[in-house]
Parts: sequence; structure tokens; C-alpha cells
Amino acid sequence: MSAGTSWAADTRAVPIARLLVLCALLGLAMLAALRFGAVPLSTIDVFDALRGSGSLVHQNILHELRLPRAVQASLVGAALALSGTTYQALLRNPLAEPYVLGVSSGAAFGAVVSVVNGWSQREVWALPLCAFAGAVLAMVLVFRIAWSVGHRLDARVLLLSGVVVSAFLVACIWLLLTFADDESVRTAVFWMMGSHSGASWRSVSVLAVVMLPTAVVLLWQARALNLLAIGEMTAAFLGTNVERSKWWAYAAATFLTAVGVSVSGSIGFVGLVVPHALRLLWGGDHRLLVPASALAGAAFMVSADTAARTVAGANELPIGVVTALVGVPCFVWLLRRPVNGANV
Amino acid sequence: MAESKGDAAVAVVDDAGRTVQLSHPARRVVSLIPSATETLLAIGAGPLLVGRTRYDVAPEVQHLPLVGGSVDPSIEAIAALRPDLVVSWESDKRQQFRERLERLGVPIFMLRTQDTSDVYRGLRNLGVLTGHSRGAELTAARLRAELDSVRISVAALPRPRVLYVVFNDPPMTVGPHTFIGQLIDLAGGTSIFADATTNWPNVPMEEIVRRNPDIVIVPVGEFKGQALERLRAMPGWRTLPAVREGRLVHVPANLLSRPSPNIGKAARVLRAAMFPAFASAVHAADTAWPALSADGLAPTTVDGRAARR
Repeated sequence: MSAGTSWAADTRAVPIARLLVLCALLGLAMLAALRFGAVPLSTIDVFDALRGSGSLVHQNILHELRLPRAVQASLVGAALALSGTTYQALLRNPLAEPYVLGVSSGAAFGAVVSVVNGWSQREVWALPLCAFAGAVLAMVLVFRIAWSVGHRLDARVLLLSGVVVSAFLVACIWLLLTFADDESVRTAVFWMMGSHSGASWRSVSVLAVVMLPTAVVLLWQARALNLLAIGEMTAAFLGTNVERSKWWAYAAATFLTAVGVSVSGSIGFVGLVVPHALRLLWGGDHRLLVPASALAGAAFMVSADTAARTVAGANELPIGVVTALVGVPCFVWLLRRPVNGANV
Repeated sequence: MAESKGDAAVAVVDDAGRTVQLSHPARRVVSLIPSATETLLAIGAGPLLVGRTRYDVAPEVQHLPLVGGSVDPSIEAIAALRPDLVVSWESDKRQQFRERLERLGVPIFMLRTQDTSDVYRGLRNLGVLTGHSRGAELTAARLRAELDSVRISVAALPRPRVLYVVFNDPPMTVGPHTFIGQLIDLAGGTSIFADATTNWPNVPMEEIVRRNPDIVIVPVGEFKGQALERLRAMPGWRTLPAVREGRLVHVPANLLSRPSPNIGKAARVLRAAMFPAFASAVHAADTAWPALSADGLAPTTVDGRAARR
């Protein structure tokens, strides 16, 4: 008996307990993110600084640097995991992840345009704005190409158009960087590696305002995702308006990725592995999977960012290095774990 | 080392430990390093230059054919100029580039560009290789006098604790064994990261907040004050007392990023950045600086008010 069918019938206590466990993990990850760094703080220091008392240096570090950064990491982690979960269901492809449809290449293209033209030097908001515009441009191109083939969203055609649009935009990026000055190249490459170091209260508030309604859309579509993950024909037989649900889910997932990538660059692995891991552990019911992947993605990203900031002393590691180095062994262990009836 | 005017063979050991032998002093030189170009101009060997990179800013070389970037020049473009000496980076680890030029019969001199001793050694070696030893000696003596006068002028003053911002995101500063680190020390300041063990260390923003510099010095290139405005809005930076209280100073990036005989001027610019009383002296002494407008030379506070006024 799979975990997916049992709880809906008899009890809601198990999934709620699982979500509470993930909430607690996220809370611990946030506390660690606020405590650890170049200047170590005790839990008491953290709460003092949060209340606006204690040393001024601690307050500055907490309010200006660590808190916005931890909140941004959690929001982006949640966005990527949500988007990965959705793509994996819609495309019925285990390799699907938030960047598979070319959104990150589009964002990188926008970011590089703003850096090379010097806009990002003038205005703090030029880079994320251009990155978002690039992501939307890539998304429109990919869906336009896919739609033009047979006037429906075929998963295989979408994947292929994602790959070619992405390859085209990457070529454009390197073309631009070939003629750019050293400083622009450095800024662009650093951005493309992904980092939360640019977090500010403004980026966090924009993220939060955009993310919450989008996440609600995905929760609302969770039942449709369950059916779509089995197959579009089955979903149609069972009363789902397949095309409409697909549009909603694609739009929401792509939008989440675009917003996330435009503030932090593309950070690999979170959107691929977190949904898979949860599916392996707790089964494939999207009514649990959608909220659980948001919480787990947030906790994973916050922890990875804390590790990236702290393990190598003064040199910050690229966060993608941490997500892969930690994520891969955990994932391999999960894959090889004996399965007790739970299906993938 | 004898005066090598004329056609006598010359030989020096370059900064990579290779012996560079020329059958006569070089007559056609391509410098891939902007600071080496400035060194050659300073010792009077400018007329020997036959090419430039896109990073060379001196007006004397702007008419020369372009060979590409400093680290990614076109070998074909270099070969076409038939140089009898190429000056390249000691830090360049690409064997391939060096071997291909050597196979074309072009001698390469590898120059180290980390600290002030590299400037003096580069002067001496490039002087020998181009037959301008006399010019090199005069330039070195003048530079020594310039740096001594800066050192003496600040000897009795309290030393401000400064942060030199090589790059702001992610923050990168200078180590004590770079020429910039040495010039800050010589010009009367103490870098808050004088304990760094690498030359161009990345430093965490939190550590900058904790060490709380008295003065923040930012080298600024083509984007000028806009980059400073941006820094002032960035989390972490904007709450630093030095930034809030107007002790954020910019210096011309082209002058401060090149370990050439112009480091005497760089030292005076840094001194003026740290001690506003010296600002007028910088202006008077450096209007003759060829590669930059006089306007770009004096440190300016972030609100656009020239510090020299």
C-alpha cells in the first residue's frame, strides 16, 4: 500500500505531523544561519539583536546581512523545490528540474546584458530586473515554440524547445562576454555561479509578495498534479481539465523559478533532488508533496548557504558546490535504501 | 651592467627564472602588460613599442596596432608585428601561449607584477633589454625619492585604519605583500586586513563590519561615482560608519591597478585619500600625469565634492 493512498482515506494526522517536522527543521536551519558566520553569535546574542538591543555591530550584522540573506535563501529554496516538484509531475520525467525549460539561461542572459552595459553598476535593481525580464523572455520563447507544434503542450516538445532556447541564449551570453571588460566578466560569472550574498530587505519583500500567491496556485492544483503525473489521458478520464491545469501549473512553476533565479542566480540541485527525496520518503501525493517540498527546499537552501558562508573561513564557497556535495551522497543513500512498499 | 647602447648582445634572468638572451637590444617590442608599457614609456623606450593591448591607456601608444587583450592576445597579430621582444605575465600559467611564441622565434620576458620590488626589478631588466639602462636608473632614482618623500611626510601622523576595496561584490581587498598594500602602509595608513595571508583575499562582509574601517577607499574606473552610489545602497556597506559619515573616497583605478613607475603618484593619491590636508599637493604635482585628466586624479568624496578644494 502506498503512502499516497492511505492517509487521505483514514487520517490527516500523519501528513500534518510530517509538515510540522519540516517546519521545525526550517526553524533550526534559520537559527543556525543567524548564529554562524565570520562573527559567531550566541542564541542570546541573536535574540538581543533581533529585539534591537545589544551591540551595534551585532545588530548591523543581523539586520543588514544575515536575516535578509537567510530569508532570501529560504524563499528561493522553497521556490525551486516547488517548481521542481511541479515540472517532474507535468513532464513525467525524473530529470526535470526548475531550469530544464531554459529559465536560468534566460535570466543569465538578462543579467549579463545589464552588467555589460553598465546598468547594474548604476542601479542596484537593474540586474535582478533584467534577469527577470530575460527569464520571462526565455519562458515565452519556449512555450511559443512548443505551442506552435500541434497547438497543445506536449511534454517532449517542451523539453526539446527548452534545450534549444537555452543553448541559443548561452551562446549569446558568451558572445557578449567575449567583448566585455574584466570587471564585467567577473561580475557576470560570479552571478551565474549563484549566491545569496546580494540579499536585501527589498529583494526579500518582492520575493515574498510574488511567491505566496504562486504557491497557493500550486496547492490548488495539487490534485490535478496527482492525476497528470500518472498520465494526461487518465487525468482527462478522471475529470481534469487537462490543458487548463497544465497551463496554470507551468505558469506558476516557471514564474517561481524566474523570480528566484533573478535574485540569486541559478543554484543547481535543490529543485531536482528535494522533490525526489520527499517522493522516495513519503510517496507521491502532491497534496503533501507541494507544501513539504516548499519547506524542505527552504531548510536545505538555508543550511547550504550557511555552510557556504562558513566552512572555508573567509572564502565563501559557491552555494551550488555545497548543494551538490551534500545533496548527491544523501540522494544516493535514499535511492539505495530498501523500500518498504512505498512507490516512487 | 654596461651601458648597452649599440648592438652588443644582452641577457637577463626574467621573473620566471628563465634567461632571456637577445643578440642586440630590442628594437620592436610588444608589451602585453599595461604597467610594463608604462615602464617602457617612463625610461624613454616608448618609440620601440610596435603594438598595444586594449588596456593600454597612455596617449603615446594609441596609434599602435591592437593585439587584443592583455591575457588573451592574438598570437597571429603579435607575430605579424615581427617583435624582437614580448613582455608577458610571470603569473600566466599557460605554457602553450609561451611555447607557441617561442616556436615563432619571438623572445619572451616574463614580468612579475605583485609588489614594489617588482617595479624596480622590472625597470632594471627592461632597461637592459631595450638598451635604456640609463633611463631606467634615472627613473628608479626619481621613484625612490618620490616614495621617500611621501613616507617622511606622514611619519608623525596618526595612522587611519583603511579598507581598500578591490571589488565590492563579493568583497575583495589587498594583502600586505601587494604593491597597493605596501603603498597604503607607506602613505601612512594601516589596512584593516594587513593580516591577510594571500595577495587578493576575498573577505566576508561581516568581517568588514566588525573591523570597522576609518576610511573606505574604492578604485573607480569608467563608471565613476555611480559605482560609489551603488555601494552606498548595498546592505552591509551602507551601515558602515565610514560610509555613512562620508569617509568613502574614490581613487582612479587605472593609476592604482598598475605596478609601474607611476606608483609614486599612486602613493600621493592614497595619502591624499587618507589625509585631506595633502589633497592640494596631489593636484599641483599631478596635472602633468599623461594618461588621465587632471580631474580624474585627485580623490573625490562620494557627494561629488572634490577633496582638493
